[in-house]
Amino acid sequence: MDNHHDMPDPQEGVPLPSLLFSRRQILKLGGISIAAAAALAPVLARSAAKPLIIMEKAHGIVIADPATCVGCGRCELACTEFNEGKAAPSLSRIKVDRNINFGPDALLAWREGQGAWGSGLIVQDLCKQCPHPVPCANICPEDAIAVAPSSGARMINVEKCTGCRICLKACPWEMISFDRDSRKATKCHLCNGKPKCVEACPAESLSYVPWRDLTGKIPPRVSTVARPLGDRAAACFECHLPGQRKSASLDTGVFPGGAKPGVFSSRPGSTSSWIDRLGTIFLPVVGLLVLVHGAVRAVVKR
Amino acid sequence: MKRTYLHPLPLRVWHWVNALVVALLLVTGIRLRVAGIPDLPPHSTALLIHRCAGWAMVASSVLWLIYSLASGHLGRHYKLTRRDIKGICSQTKFYIWSIFKGEENPFRPSPGEKFNPLQKLAYGSVMCILTPVLVVTGLAFSGVPIVRGYMLLWNMAKPLNAVHVIGAYLFALYLVVHVYMATLGKTPFSHIKAMIVGYEEEPVASEGEDRMQHLMPGSRPETGSADV
Repeated sequence: MDNHHDMPDPQEGVPLPSLLFSRRQILKLGGISIAAAAALAPVLARSAAKPLIIMEKAHGIVIADPATCVGCGRCELACTEFNEGKAAPSLSRIKVDRNINFGPDALLAWREGQGAWGSGLIVQDLCKQCPHPVPCANICPEDAIAVAPSSGARMINVEKCTGCRICLKACPWEMISFDRDSRKATKCHLCNGKPKCVEACPAESLSYVPWRDLTGKIPPRVSTVARPLGDRAAACFECHLPGQRKSASLDTGVFPGGAKPGVFSSRPGSTSSWIDRLGTIFLPVVGLLVLVHGAVRAVVKR
Repeated sequence: MKRTYLHPLPLRVWHWVNALVVALLLVTGIRLRVAGIPDLPPHSTALLIHRCAGWAMVASSVLWLIYSLASGHLGRHYKLTRRDIKGICSQTKFYIWSIFKGEENPFRPSPGEKFNPLQKLAYGSVMCILTPVLVVTGLAFSGVPIVRGYMLLWNMAKPLNAVHVIGAYLFALYLVVHVYMATLGKTPFSHIKAMIVGYEEEPVASEGEDRMQHLMPGSRPETGSADV
């Protein structure tokens, strides 16, 4: 490897390497690259043995509208009834839950996290039928996850699945379930293009649409509190701030000066940066004065 | 050498506990104020520490106030007398001029009068104005539902935040000077040692000591000066 570096041929009109590198440096570089290649060899060998799986896109995807979902869970029942022949929401490929968590920072996030104590909104999680690279399919050591011909969905081949559960960890959305009875992983395969969850939804919250990349097009799952006005605001204050109706200047809106409920901010940089500017001037000045005072004392003492 | 008992045990304990709380509040406060300082805890952790230390500060301030009022500490050591006002000039002159010439401090602390006029001004404003302002504005942000509701209602979040931060900067300024002045004793650590053991050691007193004696009628026997 890199043999052409060892013997640069001046006849070819490429004298540059010999000008830039001495023979010793070239030998050194060659040695380093051989060592690097040796270190990389196992990695390269593995990737060579198992090329990246690239799948065609799914034909469709189930999308959910959290605003209309009532959380009845019929989609979960329909899913497991069709696939397992039983009611087992823990196995359901659509997962309906309430957002009552605190976000990734857990309890430390408290009120600063995802929503206030979680927004309480009912949210639906579904397999995104990821485009290339498909994390679950690429991690599977048995190549058990492949495209379902009828729907283009990424589907688990139960013949090949050994139940190692590595796909459960590979999925960034935690959309793969493990069936403890059959000892196999299971995921959404779009029910041959006729998703049972969509058919079961009484609120028309679910729909089966042609697959498209929704990255960056879905609004965040945090409910935004609209600013109530007029009589409606008065009703709010009766409960939340009893006896304070008059201060709320109800005729002009709710919060004088345009403060929004729940959006008050004491975040860094949000207020009065002139304070910080003054502080960063005065603190060093005083510190310097103190240093000078101490230095003068030391000098005079001597 | 004379040993003067200046700092009673409760005040010494309070001082160092309070110092720890203030340090926590300042460091986490900087972290909350300035985004993206790598070596400090993340925003959420800093917030939690700041909240907890804030409540500790509330307790610390209230305990100090109760103790100072009950023991007469506040009235005895913080009240500016007419003589104090006269002494401001000489004390200031000492710090910016005479100290370099190695002159004696015109003020000599005694159990009856611990603080010189400038100390009275500084400590008085820190303990009776700055700390209460910081504590009260901090409480407004503490998330107690009703307080929070009123703050939102009156749109006070930004003004209170500004007051709190200005107060914090003033406190930091005070702290720089306080820590430096603590090293101006006979040796750099003599004042700090006194704040730990309670006794200030110093050479035999000049007439300043006697001048103070008549100001402290009925001082407790164990707080009097004693030759060692």
